[in-house]
Amino acid sequence: MSRKQKENRKDRGFPLIFSIVLVFCILGTVVFSVARRISAEMSSSAIHNLSESLGLVKGTIEAILNQEAEFQKLIAQEITMIEDPEEFIRSYKKNGTMVRISLILEGEAEGVSNVGETFSEEGLDFSAGKSIDGLLVSQSYLNSLGTWAYTIKCPVLRGEEEIAALYMEYIYDSFDEALPGSFYNGKAMLYIMDAKSERLVLKPKGMGERIAGHLNLQDFYRANDIMEPELQAEVEASINTGKNIMFYHDIREKDSLIYMWAVNDGGIYLIGYVPIEAIQQEGKAVNQNIIAVVLVMLVAFLICCLLYYLNQRQQNRIRRERETEREIHNKQLAEALQAAQIASKSKTTFLSNMSHDIRTPMNAILGFTTLLAKDAENPAKVREYTRKITASGQHLLSLINDVLDVSKIESGKVVLTIGEFTLNSLVSSVDTIIRPMANARNQSFDVTVTGIKHEHLVGDETRINQILINLLSNAVKYTPKGGNIWFRIIGLPQRSSQYEHIRIEVEDDGYGMTPEYLETIFEAFTRAENSTTNKVQGTGLGMAITKNIVELMGGSIEVSSEVDKGSIFRVELELRIPDGQADKEFWEKSGISRILAIDDDREICENIQMLMKDMDVAVDTAFSGEEGLLRLQEAVGAGQAYQMVLLDWKMPDMDGIETAKQIRCTISDTLPILFLTAYDGADVEDEIHHVENTGILAKPFFVSTFKEKILEMRAGRKAEHTEEETAAHGSLEGLHLLVAEDNEINAEILSELLDVEGAICEIVENGQLAVARFERAFEGEFDAVLMDVQMPVMNGYEASRAIRALKRGDASKIPIIAMTANAFAEDVKDALDAGMNVHIAKPIDMALLKKTLNQWIQKRN
Amino acid sequence: MEKAMKRGVKRILAVGLAGIAVLAMASCSTKHDLPQNLIADDEANSKIVNVFGPMEKSKPGVDNVSRTAFDITVSMAEEKLGLRVEYRTYTAENYQEKTYDDVTLDRVRNNMDDFYLLNPDCIQTLGEEGKLLDLSDLECTKNLRDVVKAANTVNGKLVAIPQEIVVYGLFVNKDMFDRYHLELPNTPEEFMECCRVFKDNGVETPVGANRWWLETFVFAQAFADLYNGENTQAEIEALNSGESKYSDYMRPGFEFLQEMIDKGYIDAKAAYTYEAIEGEGPDFMAQKTPIVMAYWAAANADTAYGKPDFEMQVIGFPSSRGQMPVVPITGYAIGAEAEHLEDTKKVLDVILSDEAMKLYSETNRVIPSTKNVEVDCIPALEPLNNKMEENVYVLASNANMKMEQWGNVCLIVRDLLNGATVDECMEKLDRIQEEAVRKGTE
Repeated sequence: MSRKQKENRKDRGFPLIFSIVLVFCILGTVVFSVARRISAEMSSSAIHNLSESLGLVKGTIEAILNQEAEFQKLIAQEITMIEDPEEFIRSYKKNGTMVRISLILEGEAEGVSNVGETFSEEGLDFSAGKSIDGLLVSQSYLNSLGTWAYTIKCPVLRGEEEIAALYMEYIYDSFDEALPGSFYNGKAMLYIMDAKSERLVLKPKGMGERIAGHLNLQDFYRANDIMEPELQAEVEASINTGKNIMFYHDIREKDSLIYMWAVNDGGIYLIGYVPIEAIQQEGKAVNQNIIAVVLVMLVAFLICCLLYYLNQRQQNRIRRERETEREIHNKQLAEALQAAQIASKSKTTFLSNMSHDIRTPMNAILGFTTLLAKDAENPAKVREYTRKITASGQHLLSLINDVLDVSKIESGKVVLTIGEFTLNSLVSSVDTIIRPMANARNQSFDVTVTGIKHEHLVGDETRINQILINLLSNAVKYTPKGGNIWFRIIGLPQRSSQYEHIRIEVEDDGYGMTPEYLETIFEAFTRAENSTTNKVQGTGLGMAITKNIVELMGGSIEVSSEVDKGSIFRVELELRIPDGQADKEFWEKSGISRILAIDDDREICENIQMLMKDMDVAVDTAFSGEEGLLRLQEAVGAGQAYQMVLLDWKMPDMDGIETAKQIRCTISDTLPILFLTAYDGADVEDEIHHVENTGILAKPFFVSTFKEKILEMRAGRKAEHTEEETAAHGSLEGLHLLVAEDNEINAEILSELLDVEGAICEIVENGQLAVARFERAFEGEFDAVLMDVQMPVMNGYEASRAIRALKRGDASKIPIIAMTANAFAEDVKDALDAGMNVHIAKPIDMALLKKTLNQWIQKRN
Repeated sequence: MEKAMKRGVKRILAVGLAGIAVLAMASCSTKHDLPQNLIADDEANSKIVNVFGPMEKSKPGVDNVSRTAFDITVSMAEEKLGLRVEYRTYTAENYQEKTYDDVTLDRVRNNMDDFYLLNPDCIQTLGEEGKLLDLSDLECTKNLRDVVKAANTVNGKLVAIPQEIVVYGLFVNKDMFDRYHLELPNTPEEFMECCRVFKDNGVETPVGANRWWLETFVFAQAFADLYNGENTQAEIEALNSGESKYSDYMRPGFEFLQEMIDKGYIDAKAAYTYEAIEGEGPDFMAQKTPIVMAYWAAANADTAYGKPDFEMQVIGFPSSRGQMPVVPITGYAIGAEAEHLEDTKKVLDVILSDEAMKLYSETNRVIPSTKNVEVDCIPALEPLNNKMEENVYVLASNANMKMEQWGNVCLIVRDLLNGATVDECMEKLDRIQEEAVRKGTE
């Protein structure tokens, strides 16, 4: 990702985060201020409620006190009407509130009490001057019950005269019932304090209350850590003036409200504290709810932001993907355009090359024909010109064949003609073509076959032949004179028992190729050098054709090359092994079960052993002439003589000839010896002429060649072979041929050529006429029919079928030879299917025509 | 995989939003439950048992382990019995006010509460008056230590049971003893010598005292032989019958105190007004006073002598038989006419059970009253504990003795502090004994 994109993303991300933070801040501020406001309002309301509650308690206590005072006044009034007030007092029962009643008559220091003791004012302190409903109330004191109490003093008035004083003692415990049982859910503390002594006279009960200071105000301060002198002074002042006071203070680390509420004009105080959280429970709950709602909203907001963000991210991703896709598409288009331009350029170059390549031989043809017209009287020049015209024509022909091949391969119309063939025939046919070319350039051409287990294979021999010819002819072409060319067929480990896995290597030490060229070598319309500048002529299609054919066969081809060092092409193919038993019978009948192979090349010896193994023929090996002789002597000595010796022609120390002579001298005069040689058979033949019962077996070693050679040696087919060759190249003198050819020039050429050869030909213009003429002819009138394929009215195929369908004796026997420019394999097949005997491609090769005619006419006869 | 993760995140977000929506809708619901009385039934909480106990003056931020231990056992009772125990407390603001014992006596006599924590003298006085319930049939009494039963049985009734055996000892500042190369004292003479050395070395008051606990010196010297000799029962009977006089036993102790006062080893004037620990404690903790007297649990309580800045040891009082722990048995007693009698008995059964005693003892590390729970005392208490383990101690209260001692001797010692002579004190003691013997014979 580019820096710019990152910056853009940052630019986009910052405002988003800033907005979210801003929203949070605003929301937080609003919530905080609302919460504070609520809290403040609640606090105010809570203080108000607390004041109300304390006022209520105060009112209740004052009401009790007033009731007590009123009750005491009633008793005092009643006493005035009783005869023996002291007896009344003594007999009065105490209750839960009033625990002692006493009476002191006016003028006396002591009086009576209902608890049976004498009573005096001693111990009672009325000096504070506090009163209830006009009656004096004493300071609080610990009474005889062991609890805090106060006494109200009421004058007993008879008329205006005070006759006695009535004292009633009340205990503070009686207020317990009047106080709220659970003040603020038990979280608030409530004491009653005597204002003057500051003693706590009524305390909270129950567990935990023992923690707080219960003794007096100072103890209360200590217990609750209210130690600020100013505060204590203020409280003191308020208590002295009978005022209420309420203030905030921490009580055991909790913010609390401390209250001191004056009761009965400050005679006693309600004191205590309540944690703020207890009085603001509702406020807290409201705030918590607000916070919860806000949090939920924030979570929802965040989720929305997240969804928005994810959505944006996805959109961006899709956009980026589309952009990438578009870029790729554009790139592909650009590449396609470039490829098209290159292709166009290649084709332009190709056309330019073709133009040059076609014009060059055409120029030769036309030039020599001009010269021919001028020098028609000079036979030597005429022959020279015609030879050159022929060569130019043939080059032109091969050019056309290659172009057609490529066109056909590229349009996918190539069909492989699968058939059984032997590697022997393949190698020998290639050798036949290439060796003369190599010899012509004084090049060494080395052929080796190793590791092949099966010689008979199934495949398209013609196409494999084409591959090999292409590769080898290139090797010859691009290797300077005196160079070396190696042609190897190597058996690789089989991947399947039904297929022979072979590698074909064509190596040379020629010009080599540049790495740049290697990249395009298998593309059509390319050539190492531009044909206009290079002396080497070619269409530049050979390698493309080769690669296509190899791939069509399911194989692979690769090349490595270095400029001025040479090249090596490797083709790997898997060819099916044909069904059927190995030809063991021949060897049994021939009586050959044990042979000796003498060759200094171990690989060749092993190859022979491997190939002969399937034939049940044991092969012993020796790697020098001396060793071979030794083996032969041992075998004779052991009574297991060899039936045949394969002897390498060239060996160090003792060569083949020498070894053979030694064998003849010391071992046997009759033991057949076959010389293995990669050299021209003619040279070798002169050498071995002196040695009896010998033959030449061309390398590489093939069982079929070996077999043929044995047959040849036994039957003396040498002479026959010579006769055949003679026949093949014999004259056409006296032959009467029917020719179906619609093209007048072609017809004329053919007529002339045949005439030169002494044959008589009768030309018809189409297939129908040919059939009619043959029908009219007497039996044996024509020796053969030469049939063009593409003809008006009736083509060659139909005509052939019609001839074969005629009901006359020679209709099925007469050789019909297809002569057509349709030169592909399928054309050959179609011709044969139509009943023709053989196919010869135009332009006519007279030698081939003569050979073919002779063969077929001979066969018919 | 990334795609699947994204899908997961989206699902979670969708579920989150749905959840928020559901919450929001649910929170809008205002439907009330079916009509019913919204006032809770308080009957379950109406069972109450009142306890009266002493209260101490507050020290903010300091825990009283002993009180915490008691509270734990009370909580256990409340939970098990489904009732509420309400405290009523008292402590005198100053020495001029009624003492806790005075108030206790008043409250028990007037049946103000259900059960009380009583000092030994009150146990004996109120037991004699028949104001306390016989606790012999409580389940918790089965495992009580014998010393408890012996001390708190009045007229054949077990009238009070403590949670702990209160053992008094001398709390000494070992660092100060070491500073002046003093051995911890065993006899009164050794003790006196230590005080002399301290005094000579500038310690103004070698013994910190209050108006309550100086009597422990007297008991240690008076009864060391009686309780640790072989004629204990016979000697008690002689005292009960008046044949022997308490003054004969206690005179040496009083003379000992007198000498201490005379030599300025005790500040009599201050001691007369000091409340326990509150008065003399700060000087001891400030290492101005090397010796104070206190009960066992004070060594564990932060409110007392729990965390001294020096090496503290708790030893027995000096006597002719060496260091002597003094044991006044306190206890919880139920008023004979308690308002919530049955519930109170159940509460006592729970707070004095082995289970509660174990918790109690673990919390404040004291000697529990049940023999089924062992004490795990702090190192400072080991000297005192060793003596108790050896059964070497004197009782400062014994209900078998007709004369109440813990309260009476305390008051007479106060007279001594207030200037009375030893003879005057002994005369008072004799009068009290005569009164007790007379009551016993009636």
